[in-house]
Amino acid sequence: MAKRQKRFEVLDAREVNKDGFVTEWPEVGLIAMGSPNDPQPSVKVANGMIVEMDGKKREQFDFNELFIANYAINTAVAEQMMAIPCVEIARKIVDINVPRAEVAKVFSGLTPAKIAAVMDELNVVEMMMGLQKMRARRTPGNQAHVTNMQDNPVLMAADAAEATYYGFDEIETTVAVFNYGPMNALALLVGGQVGRPGALSQDALEESIELQLGLRGLTAYAETVSVYGTEKVFIDGDDTPWSKGFLASAYASRGLKMRFTSGTGSEVQMAYAEGKSMLYLEIKCVMITKGAGVQGLQNGSISCIGVPGGVPGGIRAVLAENLVTTCLDLEVASGNDQTFSHSPFRRTARLMGQFLPGTDFIFSGYSAVPNYDNVFAGSNFDSDDYDDFLILQRDLKVDGGLRPVREAEIIELRHKAAKAIQAVFAELGLPAITDEEVEAATYAHGSNDMPARDKVQDTKAAQEILKRGITGVDVVKALAKRGFPEVADAVLNIQKQRVSGDYLHTSAILDKDFNVVAAVNDLNDYQGPGTGYRLQGERWEQLANIRHAMSPEDI
Amino acid sequence: MSQQDIIAAIVKEVLAELNGGNGSAAPAASNGRSLNYKTDYPLAQKRRELVKTATGKTLDDITLDAIMSGAVKAEEIRITPQTLEYQAQIAESISRPQLARNMRRAGELTNVPDERVLGMYNALRPNRSSKAELLAIADELESQYGAKVCANFVREAAGVYEARDVLKKD
Repeated sequence: MAKRQKRFEVLDAREVNKDGFVTEWPEVGLIAMGSPNDPQPSVKVANGMIVEMDGKKREQFDFNELFIANYAINTAVAEQMMAIPCVEIARKIVDINVPRAEVAKVFSGLTPAKIAAVMDELNVVEMMMGLQKMRARRTPGNQAHVTNMQDNPVLMAADAAEATYYGFDEIETTVAVFNYGPMNALALLVGGQVGRPGALSQDALEESIELQLGLRGLTAYAETVSVYGTEKVFIDGDDTPWSKGFLASAYASRGLKMRFTSGTGSEVQMAYAEGKSMLYLEIKCVMITKGAGVQGLQNGSISCIGVPGGVPGGIRAVLAENLVTTCLDLEVASGNDQTFSHSPFRRTARLMGQFLPGTDFIFSGYSAVPNYDNVFAGSNFDSDDYDDFLILQRDLKVDGGLRPVREAEIIELRHKAAKAIQAVFAELGLPAITDEEVEAATYAHGSNDMPARDKVQDTKAAQEILKRGITGVDVVKALAKRGFPEVADAVLNIQKQRVSGDYLHTSAILDKDFNVVAAVNDLNDYQGPGTGYRLQGERWEQLANIRHAMSPEDI
Repeated sequence: MSQQDIIAAIVKEVLAELNGGNGSAAPAASNGRSLNYKTDYPLAQKRRELVKTATGKTLDDITLDAIMSGAVKAEEIRITPQTLEYQAQIAESISRPQLARNMRRAGELTNVPDERVLGMYNALRPNRSSKAELLAIADELESQYGAKVCANFVREAAGVYEARDVLKKD
C-alpha cells in the first residue's frame, strides 16, 4: 500500500473500526428506512373489511397482511386516520398538548406503510420525545439477562438475587447447553425472589418447553415468541401469525404473562426481506403482535442489531421501532441486549434513545453477569458496567431502573440466595450443592471462579425436574421446610399471579409487595413539564447516593 | 368458490362475531355491569371477592400454611374463564379490543388439557396439517370445549393456509 498517513493509521486501529459497516443496498433490504420498494400508504374499507392496503388488493395479501388487515387495524376509523398527512401525525406524537390516548387512536387506524412514512418525519430527539409520552407505563423499568457458561445453578441463583436487588423488574435466562432449561428456571426463580420479591423471571427456550415451564410455575412469564415481517421468513421460523396468536391465548389461558419478540434486520439476516426497508417489515411485526392481542413486544433489533447497526440511519430506525410499539399502545422491552459495537461511545449513544425517555424495559436485557458469561451473545452493557450506568443515571438525573448498592449488602444477599438454592436442591433430591460452592458463588465475578460440577448428574436432574412434574408449589414447600419462609412466601405470591390475571395487562410488573403496576393503574400521563414520571424525592436521593461520592465530612 | 372468496367468507363470519358478540362473553360482574379499569383494576385489590381459583377458593385461601398442609394443591392455582372474562372487560374499557379478544380466546382454552393445547399449537404451524385436520381441530374446540371464538380462529387459519399454500403436502 501507499505510504500511510499516521493519523489514519491510528484511526484504523480504533475500536469503532472493528465494527461492520455497509452502504445501503435496497434490493436485499439492507436499508433502514424508506426503501424505494416500500409501498405507498393506502387503505380501502368495504363493509367493515379492509379490501386494499398499501397499494395491494386483498386477493394479493400474504398471510401477514391478511392477519394485520383482519385484526390489527380499526376499520371504523382507518380511512379517516389514513387521510391525516404524515407530518401532522408526526407532530401529534411530539406535541405535548396532544394526549397519548389521541395518538394511540390515530395509530389504531393506520397501515404499515403509513406508519413507516410517519416515522420518517421524525428526527431522533423527536422520537425520544415521543417515546417519553407514548411509553405505556408511567414508571420506567428494566430487565436483566442472568446466564452463565457453565449453567451453574448456585452462581445463577446468586446472580439473580444481585440483579433484582439492583432493581431489575424482570430477569431472563437461557441455557448454554440445551438440557439445562428446567434447572436454570428453578435457580432463577429462587434467586430472583431472594433479591427482590415480586421480580418476574423467564427462561428463553424452544416454544413448547418454555410453555411447559410456565405451566409448572417455574417461570413467571415468557418473551421468546418470535414473529417476522415477511411470510417466507415466518415460515422458516416455523410459525404463522395464527399459530403464534393461538400460542398467545394458550399462555393467557394459564394466567401467564407473555410478550412477542421481533426486530429490524431479522428478515435481511434470514435472506427474505423482499427489498423492503427494515423498519417497514418491523412495523408489520408490531402490528401482528397487536392483532394477536398480545400485551407487549420485545424489539429494538435484538439479536440482529449488527444489521441495522451497519447501515446509515440504522440506530434511528431501531429507536423508531420502539416508538411504533408504544404508539400502537403496546408494552415495549426495548432491546439494548446484544453486543453491537466494539466502541464504548457507540454503545452508550445507542442506549440513549431508550435511556433518556425511559421505556417499560430499557434493556431486554442488561447483562447482570460478565460478558463472558452472557449466553445471549453478550449485551450492550454488563455487570462490569454497573457503576458507569449508575453514574449516567446520576449525571443526567434519569431513572434507568437501577439503584446503587453496597458491597456488604451484595455479599450477604448472594450468600442467602446460594443457601436457598442449596436447600431447595437438598429437599427436592437434586444433585447436592456444597458449602464450598455457596462460598464461591457469594464472592464470584463469574463462572471462572466456580468449582466444577458433575454435568452428567446436573443434566439428568434437569430432565428429572420435568419428568417428576416438579412445580412452583414444590419449590415453595422446599423453601418453607428448610428455613426460608419469606422466600417461600415470595415464590408462592408469584404462583398466585396466575389466579387473578392482573399481570396479563399491558406493561405489568410487580412491586416488592406484589402489587401490580401496569399501564392500567399506572398509565403514562406525560404531557410536558410537571407531568408524567418525575425522578424526585426519595428515589432521586437513592440514585444520587453512589458508592464513591465524597461528602464534605470526608474532606 | 375461489380461494379468495373462501377467505373473504371466513373473515366476514369472524368479523360479524367480533362485532355482534356471540353470547360466549356474557358480562358477569355481580351487579350486571361490565368492569372498568378505573374502578375495578387490579382485581386482586379492588374486586378481590370476584377472583376465585378453578376449585372456588379465594386468593386469601392460598397461604403458605394451606400449601404446607395440602389444603391447596398446585393444580388449583390457575385462572378461570370467569376471571379472564373480567380481565377482558377491563381491557375493553381502556380501548384495547385485541387484548380483550385474546383474553376471551384464552378463557375458552382454560379447559383444554395442556398437552392438547400444545398439540393444537403444533398443528397450526406451517405445513403441518391438512385443511381437513385443521377443520377437525376447529370442530373439536367448538363441540368439546365450547370454544367458539378459538374454533373460528382455526377455521380462518385453515382458509388462509390453503390460499397461501402452507398446508401439509401429501
